[in-house]
Amino acid sequence: MKRLTRRRDVLRFLITTGGTAAMAPVLSACQPNKGKQNSVPLIISNWPLFIDTDQPGVAGSVRRFEQATGIDVIYREDLNDPDSFFSRIRLPLAMGQPVEQDILIVPNWLASRLIRLNWLEPLPWAQIGNASNLEDSLKKPLWDPKGLYSLPWMVGITGIAYNIKSTGRELNSVDDLFAKELHGRVSFLSMWRDTLGLLMLADGKNITAPTYKDTIPALQRLEQAKTSGQIRSFTGNDYQKDLLVGNLAACVAWAGDVAQLMGENPDLRFVVPKTGGVLTADVMVIPRKADGKREAAQWMNYVYDPINAARIDAATHFISPVKGVKKVFAASSSTAKLIEDPLMFPDKTMANRLHMLGPFSDQDEIAVERQFSKLIAS
Amino acid sequence: MKLPLTRRDLPLLLVAPGVAWLIFFFVLPLLELLRQSWSQPTSRFGLTTTLSPNPDNYMDAFSLAAPLFARSVGIAALATLVGLVVGFPLAWWIVRRGGRWKPLLTGLVVVPFFFSYLVRTIAWTTLLADSGPLMQMVRVLSLGHLLNNLGLLQDGRLLNTTTALVAGLTYNYLPFLILPIIASLGTIDPTLLEAAADLGAHSPRIFLKVVFPLALPGLISGGLLTFIPAMGDVVNSQYLGGVNDRMIGNIIADLVLIQQRFTTAAAISMLLLLLITFFLLMYMRRYGKTGLGAS
Amino acid sequence: MKSLATKLRQLQGSILTIWSLIVYGILFAPVLVIVLFIFNASKSRFNLIWDGFTFKNWLNPFADPTLAQAFFTSLGLALLATLLCILLALPMTMALERFRIKGASGMELLLVLPLTMPEVVLGASLLLLFVQMRIPPGPLALVISHTLFCLSYTAMALKARLGGHDWTLEEAAADLGASPLRTFMQITLPRLAPGLLSAGLLSLSISMDDYVVSSITAGSVVTFPLRIAGAFQREISPQIHVLSTMVLLISLVALVLSCRENDDGHQPNQN
Repeated sequence: MKRLTRRRDVLRFLITTGGTAAMAPVLSACQPNKGKQNSVPLIISNWPLFIDTDQPGVAGSVRRFEQATGIDVIYREDLNDPDSFFSRIRLPLAMGQPVEQDILIVPNWLASRLIRLNWLEPLPWAQIGNASNLEDSLKKPLWDPKGLYSLPWMVGITGIAYNIKSTGRELNSVDDLFAKELHGRVSFLSMWRDTLGLLMLADGKNITAPTYKDTIPALQRLEQAKTSGQIRSFTGNDYQKDLLVGNLAACVAWAGDVAQLMGENPDLRFVVPKTGGVLTADVMVIPRKADGKREAAQWMNYVYDPINAARIDAATHFISPVKGVKKVFAASSSTAKLIEDPLMFPDKTMANRLHMLGPFSDQDEIAVERQFSKLIAS
Repeated sequence: MKLPLTRRDLPLLLVAPGVAWLIFFFVLPLLELLRQSWSQPTSRFGLTTTLSPNPDNYMDAFSLAAPLFARSVGIAALATLVGLVVGFPLAWWIVRRGGRWKPLLTGLVVVPFFFSYLVRTIAWTTLLADSGPLMQMVRVLSLGHLLNNLGLLQDGRLLNTTTALVAGLTYNYLPFLILPIIASLGTIDPTLLEAAADLGAHSPRIFLKVVFPLALPGLISGGLLTFIPAMGDVVNSQYLGGVNDRMIGNIIADLVLIQQRFTTAAAISMLLLLLITFFLLMYMRRYGKTGLGAS
Repeated sequence: MKSLATKLRQLQGSILTIWSLIVYGILFAPVLVIVLFIFNASKSRFNLIWDGFTFKNWLNPFADPTLAQAFFTSLGLALLATLLCILLALPMTMALERFRIKGASGMELLLVLPLTMPEVVLGASLLLLFVQMRIPPGPLALVISHTLFCLSYTAMALKARLGGHDWTLEEAAADLGASPLRTFMQITLPRLAPGLLSAGLLSLSISMDDYVVSSITAGSVVTFPLRIAGAFQREISPQIHVLSTMVLLISLVALVLSCRENDDGHQPNQN
């Protein structure tokens, strides 16, 4: 009889406490806990390597913001691939329900799509005083003609990254990725706008008003390279790991990422091909029915202060959209040399080589997507 | 008039919740899959679809996925075969030589699989990495060229190759192969084998005529349990396979997660289910329902 | 003097043993890697290249906050799904074992079928249903999905246990006038406890391990496997290895315990 009682007690104990223990994490995942001062925690989704994180002895921007404003921030680096990210937010938004995040930092073309679908809140401009610091060239842009829904976070350059020890020489053109001696050691991005944009430029196309026809030679070239085994993989952000570990000799990559990786592996190099590199603006948007609009405005205001923007830029090495960052860099000896980096502050020559991919017609976009997906998914 | 709940109602009451759950969240989704495969979306990113009797989705599915089907079947079959060849001797050894250690040895087969599928696969990417232990061994033994020519290595690497994919699949399904074989080998009476030996039969003959037929049910059910899920595998192909090693599961996942083309995904899924049903029916025709529930 | 036949047989035996040991080696190779790299003083963000020995990681399993949170999310999800599974599967398997029900084989087939479907198709079909029901990918969708596929495993595990269950005690209780509920609570449940525990553990580990279905239905919820997959692209922290090993150890210990507690005298049929 003793044995029975003991086991029964155990079971009862398990059911009562196990149940409550189970509910807690799931419930807390459902409801964000109310933070201080009646403010809602700010939930941000962003790309990895896109902000200055906490370093030993130096707080990152997220923590600084939290300390300055008292707002809790849940900062997620969960964007690896904008298409799969979009598919994650699409269903709730299409159902008219809010998503968890208050701020999404997405490529400009995705912002354009979200605007057209009417899935975004207009930004609370009245509370973002520092928005006036936005670079003039980025005001009222093509993807957000009224300038109501988005505020740029960083501008990135797509080019070629390579490990000079693995390649044995300097690379400077897209053709290098198809070189025989690099067979099986190159990768392309699974994001077709970056990959095809680069290849279209190499084909001499004008990518500001692209058509499906323009992409055909690029697609064919990729198809051939894929079946012959020239391409090792199509990657999202994960090319970084492969590059660091040595699985890749060269790949399509983003400038700032590589600059940051060079700290871990000094053999890495980045180059904008002779034929040109693709420029993409990643912008901050607020999804429909987000409950943290006020907090989001404070964040945007915070990062548009040139000093804070400079701090972020110094760590990420992308092109900052905030005016005055250059001045902040110049003022300090440790950051002064960053001004000379053409990848962070493009001079005339570099600027001429950088192009932003214009929008496709709906029909053409679908056609390109299908062809490209067929390429990488089968 | 309310009928009192009798003892006779008890069995039905007990099974009702489970059955209801299964019908609502298993059968209904499959019906929805069928419906979607015959529908077209009304807008690009909207949620509504309209039923349309044309087989557009299936035509799409064929053109997109036909080579993938062939590849998936081939790779799954290969992985199953390799697994059987690798696992059968182990099963035999455990049953015949295990003695009182048999439960422990059997348990040891299963232990590695308490690690998360993903973590195991990531560990394999470490093992098979260009700078990893296996490749280092290959270089030390100068096997690089030979293996490259044999097609086992691609461009002198092991990761992101068909070899790695098959190896990963085989590995991940090994217990599903070994355990049923152990079970069916366990049913073989050792005196039977002694009798055969006494009657003058040599080991190979005993194996072919006595052991193999008796072990066959375990081999087949284990094989099926490996082959079918392997066909629909997503993870191994993604992490270990190369760009030309994508399988059916990958295209379905891509259509659902990235391209948002549910109707096409539904059509391909239906085709995959048809294929699996075909294999299952072939199995059940010969062996009935045995082995399906017992694993 | 050994005959040729005996020598041949001994050779066969040795080859067999060597083969088996090699296979065990292959089986445990990844395990070794995982456990070994726990103690790697990894300098880079990727715990892939050996950098030196340290205990630091083992002592700080929750050093990475997002990883820890994902771990507990998965745990909570698994506990909830397992609870639901047991509530659904236990009565069902008991009834199927004890009573003769019309359509029993159909029900058993229904229980097994989800296991024969590729996970990606299971996930896709669930997603399509959820879209119709206006349930977005997220916590609710996750719980439903996990409960579904764990149900089959739980039912199978329980079925195996119940197969050898001796119902005479229950029948005696019924003869003595006890209500079905009382019989269940006082007689059946305690005897089934080890079986429930091992079925529950199976369900827990299946749920905590799920990647494919979760990637389709999780929405913004980050489960442990999803976090690992996402992180794999950016970094592989030693904590992943630590937490995974902890899960393994706990599962092992619990499994061993449930094997020990065998009151009924019948061998538990393990999976």
